[in-house]
Parts: sequence; structure tokens; C-alpha cells
Amino acid sequence: MPKGYFGEYLTLAFFAGMMLLLVAGTLGLNKLVSPKVHRDEKYLTYECGVDPVGGGWSQTQIRYYLFGLLFVVFDVEAVFLFPWAVVFDKLGTAAFVEMVIFIGILALGLAYAWRKKVLEWL
Amino acid sequence: MRVPGAAYLIVSAILFTTGAVGVLVRRNVLVMFMCIELMLNAVNLSFVTLGRMMHALDGQVAVFFVLVVAAAEVVVGLAIIVAIFRRRASADADQINLLKW
Amino acid sequence: MQIDYAAVAPELVLTGALCIVLVVDLVLPDNRKGLIMPVSLLGVAGTLLALLALAGDPTRTTLGGMFVVDSFAVTLKILFCVAALLTLAMSYDYLRKEGIHQGEFYFLLLCSLLGMLTIASSRDLLPIFVSLELVSVPAFVLAGLQKIDVKSNEAALKFFLFSILSTAVMLFGMSLIYGITGTTNLAEIAVRLAATPVLRSIAVLSVFFVVVGFGFKISAFPFQWWVPDTYEGSPVPVAAFLSVASKTAGFVGLLQIMFIAFHGLADVWRPFIAAVAILTMTFGNLVALTQRHIVRLLAYSSIGQAGYILLPLAVVNVNGGSVNHEAFAASIAYLLIYAFMEMGAFSVAVAYGREGGYFIDDYAGLGYRAPGLAVVMTVFLFSLAGIPPLAGWAAKLFIFRAVIDGHEYWLAVAMAVNTVIALFYYAKVVRRMFFEPAGDGPLGVKVPLLLQATIAVSTVMVLLVGILPDLAAHLARMSTLV
Repeated sequence: MPKGYFGEYLTLAFFAGMMLLLVAGTLGLNKLVSPKVHRDEKYLTYECGVDPVGGGWSQTQIRYYLFGLLFVVFDVEAVFLFPWAVVFDKLGTAAFVEMVIFIGILALGLAYAWRKKVLEWL
Repeated sequence: MRVPGAAYLIVSAILFTTGAVGVLVRRNVLVMFMCIELMLNAVNLSFVTLGRMMHALDGQVAVFFVLVVAAAEVVVGLAIIVAIFRRRASADADQINLLKW
Repeated sequence: MQIDYAAVAPELVLTGALCIVLVVDLVLPDNRKGLIMPVSLLGVAGTLLALLALAGDPTRTTLGGMFVVDSFAVTLKILFCVAALLTLAMSYDYLRKEGIHQGEFYFLLLCSLLGMLTIASSRDLLPIFVSLELVSVPAFVLAGLQKIDVKSNEAALKFFLFSILSTAVMLFGMSLIYGITGTTNLAEIAVRLAATPVLRSIAVLSVFFVVVGFGFKISAFPFQWWVPDTYEGSPVPVAAFLSVASKTAGFVGLLQIMFIAFHGLADVWRPFIAAVAILTMTFGNLVALTQRHIVRLLAYSSIGQAGYILLPLAVVNVNGGSVNHEAFAASIAYLLIYAFMEMGAFSVAVAYGREGGYFIDDYAGLGYRAPGLAVVMTVFLFSLAGIPPLAGWAAKLFIFRAVIDGHEYWLAVAMAVNTVIALFYYAKVVRRMFFEPAGDGPLGVKVPLLLQATIAVSTVMVLLVGILPDLAAHLARMSTLV
């Protein structure tokens, strides 16, 4: 490794150069190697080999998204419960109370979603 | 066979670069978003590997927090994208250009 | 592990307050949502009281050294609370007129404030990251709160994409640092970095990653692209909050990391920071010259200001000493003063915008139509420009002195040139207001009481600190970490 003041920047330049080379290399290789055949079929949406029928733009009930988003949030928050549960008997009551507060705040979030009528399927 | 820690770090670096390049070259907001998630996961991989190499738990604890924060971001981000999609019917970053200079 | 509950009292009070805000929002009928505002105001006031009770105490450390309450933390937390109070007062009438959901707005604002409070106390990479996200994530929603406005959506999306991209880059840098040093504690990182010269190159790389990550948050060049778009598209009080509180939070994180953890590598990053600072202020000030929208003008001006605040970092000395102390104090002093002048300018924009419009052309002849508003706007703009005897002048002087003390004279010259450039666009607005015939804008602007209070507080602070600059200087010197 080069030493000295500019040596530090040289390392940085080395990394930057590597990165640019890698990116340009892979993207360029892709350009070079891939055959370029412009046919109408190529611009069709690929749907398991069957010709697509109708438009791709269809309405999906917005509530699917809302449910999905809610699920992600509450699902991932549960990650904090696992380490807590593993060492539960070594921690005092304070840790228990803290976790109750944590779950309480989560419950508040759920109550919010419920009151805002997100959980109802209209 | 035991895989050396360095291999994981290299994978993590490649994932991170792939994600970064993806954000820069792709124009679909959802794909850009996925690329950023890829970068975050590269970070997770490197935290876990480094923690394991040092026989410490800090790395895994860090991953917990990164995961949770990433989930919160996913939710907010998707909500914003859905809001735009409902008004624009498009997720192309080049078409989101009302505000300039 | 024993937790020092007194040290985290302000955060606990605020957490309680925001839970209450959420519940109140749930039980109130739609036509009485206005009541949420006083509840939030009380919550922030309570937090402020808890903070004041901590002021002057000896340093408290808790949560395994992650959470430290010292004079630095207390000063900045008070600043954040005051900024939040001003934003609350500024937004009340704005939200009602624009028909924006009030409950969500106040709740998210308090969430963001909570992140700001914790970042000022975080002395570990992990809590810094979590706090920074706690600041940003509610802010994404705040920026896009005007759901039916396409511009607001776009503002939120740009802010979001840039912000999480920067977070990912910053996190990668943090993971590298963790890999080299085996710790995430800032002070411990400094010790171990000094002890392991072998991996210095990787350390330098990770420092750059972290700086790039923070560069987005503080809107430093070349990571500032989202700033004007986001400020223009989001509700104006949100833009004020972002430009003051969110940016200060970014600086707080950056200052802590650079001064505590990375000062041993200062020789390497100093020229880089200097270049970024100069480019930031030059870019902000030059592009601001061409702006026609007042919020965009303020956005570019805030980019320029970020350059000034960053400048003292370019004189940091590896061996510590008084130069570092002065540099740190200069940045803090600038942040303290900047908050009030920026808040003031934004609140005038809010006050006039509803009836008059947000374009600079709309300000033509304001001096005849609403002299009071025009005069306070002039005060804020001239303060931002750095004209004595206003607070902004003192702020620029502190930075200038710190840079001269560090013997980086060319930085001082670059800063002086930038101050002159900046004067042009601030003066342009002032000229519009006083030396142009009154357009067809409204005669006499009715400013709601709360907004008047915001403007009054900001004006008083700008004038007071301008006349007695030692107030800010003293407070800043007390609140350094080096």
C-alpha cells in the first residue's frame, strides 16, 4: 500500500477506479455481447410465452397495499421480541416493563390503523 | 468446507456496488427502490460477517436495527410511490419532473 | 444494566406526549382537530422543561456509553425544541387553510423531534444511525402530506430516494469502521484507529462513505439536488423545519463523528471537506441568483449556509487543541443563529404567501402595502447575508475567525467572496419590496397571532444576538465536545 499523504488519496482513487472499471466493464460487455434484434415481438410483455391480451394497467384494490404495508411494519418490529425472550429470565422486572411499553406503543399504532378504518375491507 | 470471512465481505461489496449502479442507471422508481434495499442488505451481510469474524454480537445487533429501520422506510416509501401512482399511473423517474432548478 | 432515567427524561416526556397526541387525534371529531396543536405545544414545552432541569448538571452517561447528556447535548436539544415550537406555531393556521391533516402533522413533527433529541446524545454509530432515520422517516411523510398535490408527492419521493440512498452509503461506511476497529463507540473508535495504522486505507475509505452519507442530510455539494425540489413541493412550514431542524440534526451527527471518532485522520479528510464546503457555498449562492420563487431562493440560500457551517471542519487539527475547540464552537454558534434567521424568513414567507403568493415578483412594493412584514423580512434576509449589526454577521465572523486561526487563509477569502455574491440575491428581494411600485398584491396582510409570535421571537433573537454576539459565542464555547 502506498504511504504518505497522497498515498491515502491514491488508495481512494484506486477504489474509485476499480469501481468505475467494474461498472463500465459489465455494462459495456453486456452491450457488446448481446445480439441486437429489433422485432415487434421483443417489445411485447413476456407472459410465460403466451401473447398478452388486454392492457397491463388494471386496477388493484388499494387495500391490498395497505394490508401489505401494515403487515411489514408489525412483522419486523417483532424482531426485537426474540432476543428479549431468549434472555428473559436473566433480566429483571424493569426489562419486562420496558417491553410492555414497547408493545403498548405498537398496540397504539394498531389502534390508530383500526380507528382510521384501515383494517376494514370496504 | 469452511468459507473464509473475506469471501462474504467480497460478496457484500459486489452486492453493494450492484445496488448502487442499479440506482443510478435504472429509471423505474420501484426498481431503484429495490436496488437501495439491495445495498442495505449488503450492509447487513457485512455487519454479520464482521461480527462473526470478531466473535462479537455487536454486528448482529446492528443488523436488527438496520432491518427494522429498512422496514419502516419500505413502508413509507411504498406509500409515497402508491400515492404518486394513483395520480400519475406511472413509476418512471424521468416523468416525475414538475420541480426543476 | 442500570438506566439513568433522569438523563433520558426529556425523551421519555416527548415519547409520552406523542402517544397522547396520537390518542387525542383518534378521539377528536374532524371539526375539532385544532385542539391537537395546544397538546403538542404542551408536550414540547414539557420536554423543554425537563431539558432545562438537566442544564448545568455534570455529564451523565447511560445505556452502556451510548447515550451521553453533556452541555453539547443539552444546548442542541434546547435548540431543537425551540425550532419545533416555532414550527408548530407557524403551521397552525397554514394547515387549517390548506386543509392538511393536522393530527398526523403534529404527531410526525414530534416523532422527528424525538430523533433530533436522541442524536444530540448519541455517542455511538448505531444510535446515530437510528436517530438520523427517526428524524428523516417522519419527514418524508411530512413532505408528502399534501396527498392530492402532485408537487408534494414528488417532493416526498425525491427526498425519500436521496435520503435512503445516502443512508445505505453511510451504513456501509459504518460497517467498514466496525470491521476495522471492532467497536461502534465513537471515543473507542478514535483510540483503536490510532492503534491500528495497518488498515488506515480502509479507514479513510469508510470515513468518505460516512461523509457522503451525511452530505445528503446537510445538503452539501454534490448531494444537494433534492433540497430545492423538496422544499418547494412540501408544505412551507415543513420546508422551514427541514431546513433548520433536520439539517442541524445532520450537522450534529457529523460534528460528533468527525471530532470524536475521526479527528486522527483529519489530515486526510480536511482538504476534501474544504473542497466540499467551498463548492457547496458557491453552488448555493450562484444558483440562488437565478431564482424566482421565494422558497427555492431560501432553499439555495440554505445550501450556501451549509457550506459556511461546514467550513470550520476544514481546519481541524490531528493533535486537537484550541483550534479544534474554536472550530467546533464556530459551527455550533452558526447553527444556533442560523436557526432563528431561517425560521424568521420562512415564517414571513408563510405569512405573506397565502394572500400574496410565493414568487419574488409578488413581493414587489410590499414595503408600501405591508411595511411591518417587509421590514422584518429585510431583517432576516440581511441577517442571512451577514450584514452588521444583525446576528448573521456575528455568525459569519465566528466562522471567519476560526478559519483564520487555523491558518487557512484561502478558505477565508473564498468565504468572503461568497458572502458578497450572496448579498446580491438577498438585496434583490429587498429592492423588490421597497424600490418598486406596489403591484396588484393585497393591501395590508393579516397575520395570524401565532405566526406573529414566531416572527417576533425570531426577530428579537436575530437583533439581540446581533447586538450581543458574545451570547451565542459563549454558549457555543460551553457546548463543544473538544
